[in-house]
Amino acid sequence: MLEDIPVLSLIVWLPLLGAVVTLLMPKQNARLLRWTAIVFSVVPLVLGLLLFASYEPILGGGAYAEHGTWLSVPLNAEAWSASQGVTSYRLVFNYLLGIDGISLPLVLLTGIVSTMSALATVHIHKRWKTFYPLFLLLQTGMYGVFLARDVVLFFIFFELTLLPMFFLIGIWGYFGKEKAANRFLLYNGLGSAVMLLGFLILIATLGFSATQTAGGVELVYSGSYDTMLANLADPNAAANAGGAMFLSGNLRWAAFILLLIAFGIKLPFFPFHTWMLKVHTEAPPSVVMIHSGILLKMGVYGLIRFVALLFPGQIDSWAPVLATLGVINILYGAILACAQKEFKLVLAYSSISHMGIVLLGIASLNETGFEGAIYQAVSHGLISALLFLIVGSLYERTGTTRLDELGGLARSLPFTSGILLTAGLASLGLPGLSGFIGEFLSFLGLFDTWKWLTAIGVLGVLFAAVYVLRGVLAMIHGPMQEKWIGLKEARFIEALPMVALTALIVLLGVYPSLLTDLMQHGFDGLLKELQTRVGG
Amino acid sequence: MSMLASYLTLAAVLFCIGLYGVLTKRNAVVVLLSIELMLNAVNLNLIAFSRYGIAPSLKGQVFALFSMTVAAAEAAVGIAVLIALYRNRATVNVDEFDELRR
Amino acid sequence: MATVFSQYAWLVPAFPLAAFAVLTAMGRQQNRTGGWIATIASLASFVVALLILIERMSGNADDYNGSFDWLRVGGTQLTAGYEVTNLTSLMMAIVTFVSLLVNLYSIGYMKGDDRAAVFFAYVSLFVSSMLGLTLSDNLLIMYVCWELVGVCSFLLIGFWFQKPEARAAAKKAFIVTRIGDLGLLIAILLLFWYMPGHALDFSSLHNVFGTQSGLISTSLTTLIALLIFLGAAGKSGQFPLHVWLPDAMEGPTPISALIHAATMVAAGVFLVVRTFDIFAAAPAAMDTVAIVGAFTAIFAATIGLAQNDIKRVLAFSTVSQLGYMMLALGVGSTTAAMFHLFTHAFFKALLFLAAGSVIHAVHTQDIREMGGLGRRMKTTAWTFGIGALALSGIPPLSGFWSKDAILGAALDDRPWLFVVGAVAAFFTALYMARLFLLVFAGKPRGSAEAYAHAKESPAVMTVPLVVLAVLAVAAGFVMTPFQDWLGPWLSGGGEKEDANGVAIVVSIVVSLLGIGLGWLIYGGRGAVRPDVVSSRLPWLARLLERKYYVDELYDLLFVKSLGRLGQGLRFFDEVVVDGAVRLAGSAVSALGRANTRLQNGQVQTYGLVAIIAAVILVLAIAGRRFW
Repeated sequence: MLEDIPVLSLIVWLPLLGAVVTLLMPKQNARLLRWTAIVFSVVPLVLGLLLFASYEPILGGGAYAEHGTWLSVPLNAEAWSASQGVTSYRLVFNYLLGIDGISLPLVLLTGIVSTMSALATVHIHKRWKTFYPLFLLLQTGMYGVFLARDVVLFFIFFELTLLPMFFLIGIWGYFGKEKAANRFLLYNGLGSAVMLLGFLILIATLGFSATQTAGGVELVYSGSYDTMLANLADPNAAANAGGAMFLSGNLRWAAFILLLIAFGIKLPFFPFHTWMLKVHTEAPPSVVMIHSGILLKMGVYGLIRFVALLFPGQIDSWAPVLATLGVINILYGAILACAQKEFKLVLAYSSISHMGIVLLGIASLNETGFEGAIYQAVSHGLISALLFLIVGSLYERTGTTRLDELGGLARSLPFTSGILLTAGLASLGLPGLSGFIGEFLSFLGLFDTWKWLTAIGVLGVLFAAVYVLRGVLAMIHGPMQEKWIGLKEARFIEALPMVALTALIVLLGVYPSLLTDLMQHGFDGLLKELQTRVGG
Repeated sequence: MSMLASYLTLAAVLFCIGLYGVLTKRNAVVVLLSIELMLNAVNLNLIAFSRYGIAPSLKGQVFALFSMTVAAAEAAVGIAVLIALYRNRATVNVDEFDELRR
Repeated sequence: MATVFSQYAWLVPAFPLAAFAVLTAMGRQQNRTGGWIATIASLASFVVALLILIERMSGNADDYNGSFDWLRVGGTQLTAGYEVTNLTSLMMAIVTFVSLLVNLYSIGYMKGDDRAAVFFAYVSLFVSSMLGLTLSDNLLIMYVCWELVGVCSFLLIGFWFQKPEARAAAKKAFIVTRIGDLGLLIAILLLFWYMPGHALDFSSLHNVFGTQSGLISTSLTTLIALLIFLGAAGKSGQFPLHVWLPDAMEGPTPISALIHAATMVAAGVFLVVRTFDIFAAAPAAMDTVAIVGAFTAIFAATIGLAQNDIKRVLAFSTVSQLGYMMLALGVGSTTAAMFHLFTHAFFKALLFLAAGSVIHAVHTQDIREMGGLGRRMKTTAWTFGIGALALSGIPPLSGFWSKDAILGAALDDRPWLFVVGAVAAFFTALYMARLFLLVFAGKPRGSAEAYAHAKESPAVMTVPLVVLAVLAVAAGFVMTPFQDWLGPWLSGGGEKEDANGVAIVVSIVVSLLGIGLGWLIYGGRGAVRPDVVSSRLPWLARLLERKYYVDELYDLLFVKSLGRLGQGLRFFDEVVVDGAVRLAGSAVSALGRANTRLQNGQVQTYGLVAIIAAVILVLAIAGRRFW
């Protein structure tokens, strides 16, 4: 039934429709605008869940793929010598959406976190009619990133997330919001520029597909990801396409490093992390939920989809570098998180540490590690969304999240404190909650190849216990200060996403097969490729 | 020295005088006059080539006529702008017209 | 023999888990009934566990194993499952029994606390995960439950969260045990990659290390064993990771009895017993276990001599007794270790609950402010006395038999460890005598008013005391040198503990000596003055009172240095990394500012620049001819 409707397109474009709808509404009616946004966030989530329910890992997501062409430009073929038999020569922009075991978990994550974040927008107090269209536009961008199977389309969606984020930070943030927004845009703009360059190399050297006709060869260039994979796998691809220019060794390295940097900034890895601290502290909580919960995962997704799967040889020789970077990220983020006095900064540095674990998973270059990376991405998305949801709710009441100003909140806010403690425990990797599975799989994967590095990285788990407990206990335990006595417990609309996210974290921690089964065949191609390399 | 060379020399001298005026004079009216001088140097070139060029024809003279017409229009617009500026700023000193920079 | 009840073993942890779910969902409305919900759940668990135990005792029943797919790692399916063996059924019975009594006791102890429902919810979660740990059939699931019991312990230590000491103690407990857990985690990672078929279940471990020895090299086996022992040491409070256990006494006293005396801290011992084949294949690891255990036993016992907090004395005693169990494992006797775990669970829970009863009555934990309470609280005093005698190793109480089994095993294996154990036994008897006499005998030293108000606790608290006291007396008879039933049952026959006359005599003598010395010093006769040591060797008394300055040392070595490192990195991050970013940013804008100099808005300047540029261009093009 799902195969008969363009379900992926619906997921991508429904939020945009929602944005248009909110634009048509009266601007004072915050409630109406909010509920519209919630509805348009829930529907893609429901579609995603239906997809999840009917997804067969063995078959892959082929049945749901969507193809289309939105622009076809004839190129100047004169430069191409006719002796090679090329008669027609075109550049095509495709509309390709697809789903597989790697993107489906992230699509679900996007749906969940967006919905929860939409519920959390009760803390937005001004200019709703500007906020909600941007908020929904952002969702379209995010879904597009995870579903696009064409690098041009991917790039467009990727850029589409930057602009709304810039305004969401810059208008609704706290004191240093302009600076944070600027820094966000500059870093990500730099990343995008580098990414574009990498993609151009890919299109020019891998994006060709040739059709033999009576007159000769018709050559079509496009950004189609599957074409690239096919061309990479086929050693005679260039020769069949009339001797088209093929990705040479040096270009391969160039594209690999460009894309690594582009997605590394998004992840972010050391030393490109400082922009993300500003965003974490200055953006409004519902936006940070999306930022920390989903946008950082676009870096993870990009690293796996475009860096690891397209450049197995390069990543194979750079695995020690990535693993070292991962360990640096883990320890650097963790130790710095121990030294912060502002809870939001503790969380920001802990995100750096957790993304280090993702890097470890990727650097392991085996199925276990990749599963661990994706699992860690999803789990960290849920956990950090939950943590920032609570931070927003606390800030609304206390006006501060500084550790030395808070204390004993468990007395006046027992529910919120309980959820905060649970989220903290999930963040430090307590088994039974989702954080553990991701960490465990990543460490397990890397341990096969890099034993000592893993052993050092595991220390990060210890530091995680230190900074999480230090931060969380300073807020909720200890003697309560007079001024926090009359605080009101979370309202229903705040409590609902808290409970939902906690339930998901527990579910994924107790029954991880739910997600790992999905990814079962996602990495077959890569592993085969790596194996042949090791063998040859 | 052939006829063409002397015409071209005269035109070049005229052009340089005009250029010098455009770049150095502070009075906007003088700058406009200098521009006219440069245009006329061009006209001179056009006519010289139409008479002594490789393929002499009337085209050059026709172009010179066009150019004079356009120059007249340009002078009119230029003076009009100047007058408007003068009414606003009470000066014709080009150094003080740096609105774009602010 | 067919197993009837064993296949329902999953019910045992399920009952408390259900209680936890109910109590969490209902929240504080359950403050009055919460205790009963938890108690009934643990009663149900106890009944099932007892049925299983009886079933297993009645014959050589097959081990039962049930599992389901839990997590797919690469091409490997990891399962979650439970396994019923003689060992797990015994452990399960101990855990459910103690938790039942502690739940019952807590109904009285926590009466009137406005977070009682939360307390019982945490306790139920703890019981459930502890039973999961006991039942799990592979290391990974055991690790999951292992961490869960750790977090419950953390939650319950910090239960009175408004006290800064409780907060600090909870944090310390979690972090210190986490150090050990990392060892266990790395051991699991190693095992996963080196075990054939990535098997982590205990029966495969038994096959690989026990019967097919040689499949994994000795050095690797030693490393794995040591890492597992690190985990066990963290949980069981072995030196040098013992520091959290005394501080954990900030939690409610029933918790100290349940978690920090009878069950969770014994999990480390249980872990080593479960993976004993690995240790047995690595002699160096066995030596380490034995030496660490013996050292901890005597080390903690000496500290126990100089503490003034009733619960801390008991806590150091727990550390010391766990050291005994490790010693037993190190000299190769799992039976003696499990036997001591079994008896210790009863008499130490008894001691803690009795101490709780005292604290409940006088509202202080300082033994210098107690005294003479035996006349006001007869049941408590009697039961505490029985527990103290059992712990001191006086025959025929249970502690004597189990301690004797350990000392006998040590004498057979390494006599010098036997000497250490005997000296520790002497100190044990001494500090227990001191504790009992200072609290219950003599004249009241605290405020007269507190003494006047002190009265016996309600029946809901004293009944568990009496039950435990009976067991503290009787539990030892399952394995005496004359009638050894436990050993063959536990280890599947074969192993026979020989009665060792020397060990029996020595252990009786040192215990009596210790109690006698205690009586002389603290008995009120003034035969030996209490400050006999502290007046002559003040540094020694101080050293003991400050627990050998281990806490201070750790604070200096780890906490402070981590703090400094954090500050240093913070400086680095803000100045160097972010500075580089700011530098790049300001470099760009400085370049921009320099360029605005050129853009002065003067058309004439632009024109001049354009002309000059054009001239240079022309010259350059023309000049190329001459190069």
